[in-house]
Amino acid sequence: MEGVADLQTLIPPRTTSRRVQAAIEQGIKAFFGGNALVAIIVLALITIFLFREGFGFFGQNLTNLRLYRQAGLEYVDIIRDVSTQHEALSRKLSDIRLQEARAMEKRSVPVEEINATLAPFDQFASAFGDTAENLRTLVSDLTDQASALKESLYARAELAAQRAQLERSGALAAAEKIAVPAVDRATALATLHQGAATFESVSAEMTATLYTLLAQAPPLPDAAEQKTFDQWKTRTREYLAGLPKASENLRTWSAETPIPWYRSISSFLFGRDWVTASFWQDWYGIVPLLVGSILVSIVALFFAVPLGVASAIYVSEIASVHEKRFIKPYIEFISAIPSVVLGFFGIAVVGQFIRAASQSPWFKWISFFPISERLNIFTAGCLLALMAVPTIFTLAEDALRNVPRGFKEASYALGANRLQTIARVLVPASLSGIVSAILLGLGRVIGETMVVLLCAGNRIAIPDFSQGLGAIFQPVHTMTGIIAQEMGEVVRGSTHYRALFMVGLVLFTITLGINYLAQKLVARYRMSIG
Amino acid sequence: MVNIIEMPEITSPTIANQPAPSPEPGVERAMIEIEDVDFSYGTHQVLHDVSLSVPARAVTAFIGPSGCGKTTLLRCLNRMNDLIDGAQITKGSIRIEGTDINASSVDVVDLRRRVGMVFQKSNPFPKSIYDNVAYGLRIAGVTKRSLIDEAVEKSLRSAALWEEVKDRLHVSGYGLSGGQQQRLCIARALAVEPEIVLMDEPCSALDPIATAKVEELIRQLKEQYTIVIVTHNMQQAGRCSDRTAFFYLGRLIEVDDTAKIFSNPGQRQTEEYITGRFG
Ligand SMILES: Nc1ncnc2c1ncn2[C@@H]1O[C@H](COP(=O)(O)OP(=O)(O)OP(=O)(O)O)[C@@H](O)[C@H]1O
Ligand SMILES: [Mg+2]
Repeated sequence: MEGVADLQTLIPPRTTSRRVQAAIEQGIKAFFGGNALVAIIVLALITIFLFREGFGFFGQNLTNLRLYRQAGLEYVDIIRDVSTQHEALSRKLSDIRLQEARAMEKRSVPVEEINATLAPFDQFASAFGDTAENLRTLVSDLTDQASALKESLYARAELAAQRAQLERSGALAAAEKIAVPAVDRATALATLHQGAATFESVSAEMTATLYTLLAQAPPLPDAAEQKTFDQWKTRTREYLAGLPKASENLRTWSAETPIPWYRSISSFLFGRDWVTASFWQDWYGIVPLLVGSILVSIVALFFAVPLGVASAIYVSEIASVHEKRFIKPYIEFISAIPSVVLGFFGIAVVGQFIRAASQSPWFKWISFFPISERLNIFTAGCLLALMAVPTIFTLAEDALRNVPRGFKEASYALGANRLQTIARVLVPASLSGIVSAILLGLGRVIGETMVVLLCAGNRIAIPDFSQGLGAIFQPVHTMTGIIAQEMGEVVRGSTHYRALFMVGLVLFTITLGINYLAQKLVARYRMSIG
Repeated sequence: MVNIIEMPEITSPTIANQPAPSPEPGVERAMIEIEDVDFSYGTHQVLHDVSLSVPARAVTAFIGPSGCGKTTLLRCLNRMNDLIDGAQITKGSIRIEGTDINASSVDVVDLRRRVGMVFQKSNPFPKSIYDNVAYGLRIAGVTKRSLIDEAVEKSLRSAALWEEVKDRLHVSGYGLSGGQQQRLCIARALAVEPEIVLMDEPCSALDPIATAKVEELIRQLKEQYTIVIVTHNMQQAGRCSDRTAFFYLGRLIEVDDTAKIFSNPGQRQTEEYITGRFG
C-alpha cells in the first residue's frame, strides 16, 4: 500500500473541473471529426461534380452524331474515304521510288543514271496521281454543300434553343421576336444525293484509266522494290474492286436512318479519332488517348519495376549500413524533383540523346532506327520511370523489411546463401507487397500529367503497330495530357468540355481501380505475414 | 523476478581464472570445443571467457537466467551472429571436430548445413508443410523428386509429426498448431541431415503434451546427432540432457554431468538457480 501512496504524490492534483475537462475532450473530438468530415465531403463533391459535368456529354455527343448524318456529312465522307485511299496509294508510290533510288545509290549508280532509269516510273506515278483529279473536285464540291447545310441547321438549333429558354423563363414577347429560319433540308440533301451519279461516272472513268495504266507499269531494276511494287499493284486492284461497294453505299444512304442512343457511348469508348474544333466534324473517341497512356505506362514500368525492386532488394538485404544511409534518401529525393523540371530535362536532354543515339551506326541493325521524333512514347516513358522508381522502391523496401526476421534466419540456418534466401524466401513472402508497390507506381505514372504533356510528342493518333517495337518511338497524346492542354480553351458546357470531363472520369476510374487492387493486395500480404 | 542486487559476488577469482577444460573431464569425444570466447554486440560485451566442450552424440543443456547469453553462444556455433551488424567474437576460438569455424577457409554455408538450428520462436516459412521440410534439400541442389519425398517423410517421422500431417502435406505450415509448427521446424532442420542440432528453448511455447513429445524426440535424436539445447525448464534439462552448463551474466559458472549438477552442484550460484531460490 505504501507504493500506491507514493505514486499518488507523483501525480499533481487535478486543477480543472470535470466539466471543463469534458468540454475540452468534446472540442478535440469535434476538431478531428470535423476535419475528417470536410475531407469526405470534398471528395464526394468532386465525384458528384465530375459525374454531373461528364454525363451530359452523351446527350450532346448524340446530337453531334445525328447532325453529322442529317446534314449529309456522313455521305460526303464515304466519297472522301475513297479519295483518301487513293492518296495513300500515291504516297506509297513515292516511298517505293525513294527506296529504289537508295538501293541504286548503294550500288553507286550515278545520280543522272538513276533519274534516267526511273523516268518511266515517275511518269507512271504522276499519271496515277492525276487519275484522282475529278474525284477530288467532287469531294470538295460536296464538302461545301454539306458544310453549308450543317451550318444552317446548327444556327437554327441554336436559335430554337434560345427561344425555348426565353419561353421557359416567361419572356414570351422576347421569344416571339426570335425568328427561327426554316431550313430546306430536303432540297439540300437532294442536291447532295446527285453526287452519287457523279461519283459513279468519275469512278468508272478512273477504273478504266487505272487498269490500262497498271498494264503498262514499268519494271524496277531491284527485285526487292519490284516485289513491293507488285504488292502495291495488288492493293490498287483491290481498291478498284472496292469502288462499286462505295457507290452502293452512296445509293442506299439516307439522312433519316436513326442513330441509336448507344452510339454516343460506343463512339466515345471505341472511337479511334479525337478531332476537336474542326470545321467539318468533331470526333470524341478515347482510344488514341487511352492507348497513348497505356503505352507510356508500359514503357515506364518496364524500366521502373526492375530498377525499383532491385534497389529495394539491394538496400534491404545486401547493402552495408553505410550504403543504406546513402542510397535510401538519395532515391527518395528523386520524388522531390518537380515534374515540370523533369519534363524540361526530358525535352532538352533525354529526347535529344535518344534521337542522337538512334542515328549512330551502332544501332543500324534496328529496323526502325533512326527515329524522326525526339519526343515520343519512349522519351516520356523513361522520365516517368524516374518518377515511379521512388514510389516502387519505398513501398517494396517496406514490404521486404517487414518480412519477419525468423524467415530469413531459418533460411540461412539451413545453409542457404544470400541469393537463395532472397529468391526463395524474402521475395515470395513479400510478393503481394511488392506487387502492390508496382501497382501504386503504375497509378502514379498513369496520373502524371506534366511530363507526358512535355515529352510524349502530343500527336493524337494510335501508333502504327505494323512497325513492331518501333511503335514506341512514335509520338502520342495521353488522357492526362489532353485534359491539361485543352481544358483551358474550351467553352464551358460545350460537348468538347464535357468530353474532357469524360476522359477525366475514365482516368479516375482506372486509378481508383489500381489503388483498390493495391490495397487489397496489401491487406492480403499483412495477413500472410501476420 | 531475478533480484540481482541480493546475489553474492560472482567474480570470485576461482571462477574467472578457471583453466580451459580441454579436454574437459567427463567428455570422451568432444564434438565442439569452445575456448576462451569473448563476444560483443558492437561495444557491448555479452560473453566473457567462455570455455566448454560439447560431447558427441549426447545432449548438452545450457541453463541460466534470462539475458545471460545462452542464445548468443548457441548462435556462435553456426555463425548466425554473422547476420548481425557489429556482432563478433573478440577473443578465443570455436572448433568443430578440430576445425576452427571462424577461419577464413571455412565455408559458412557448409557449416550451417552441418550445424542445424531450431529457433526459440517457431518460424516455418509461409509455404506448404512439404515445401518447408524440402527447403534445405532444394537449396542444396537436390532435385530428384523421389529423394525429396523420402527425406521429407523420414524427417517428419523423426520429428514425430508424420502421423498428424501425412494427409495434408501440401497445406500451409501456418495451419498447424504452435506445437506442431515447432516440430515442423525441427523436421526442417533434420531434413538436411546435420551432425549437430542446436535447439533454442524448443518447448517454450508448448503445452505439456507437446513438450513431452519433443523431449522424447530429443532422447531419440541423440542416437545420431549431437544436440545442444537451451532451456529455462530445470526439469526438462534434468530429464533429457546428459551434460548441463550453467551461465550467469555472460560467464560459464559450471559445467558437468547433468546428474551431478542437479544432485551436487559445485558452485553455490548453480545450486541457488536450480533450486529456484534465485528468483
Ligand atoms: N542483436 C543484439 N544486439 C545487441 N545486443 C543483443 C542482441 N541480442 C542479444 N543482445 C544482448 O545480449 C545479451 C545476451 O542475450 P541472449 O539473447 O544471448 O540471452 P539469453 O540467455 O538467450 O536470454 P533468454 O533466456 O531471455 O533468451 C543480452 O543482454 C541482450 O540484451
Ligand atoms: Mg535466448
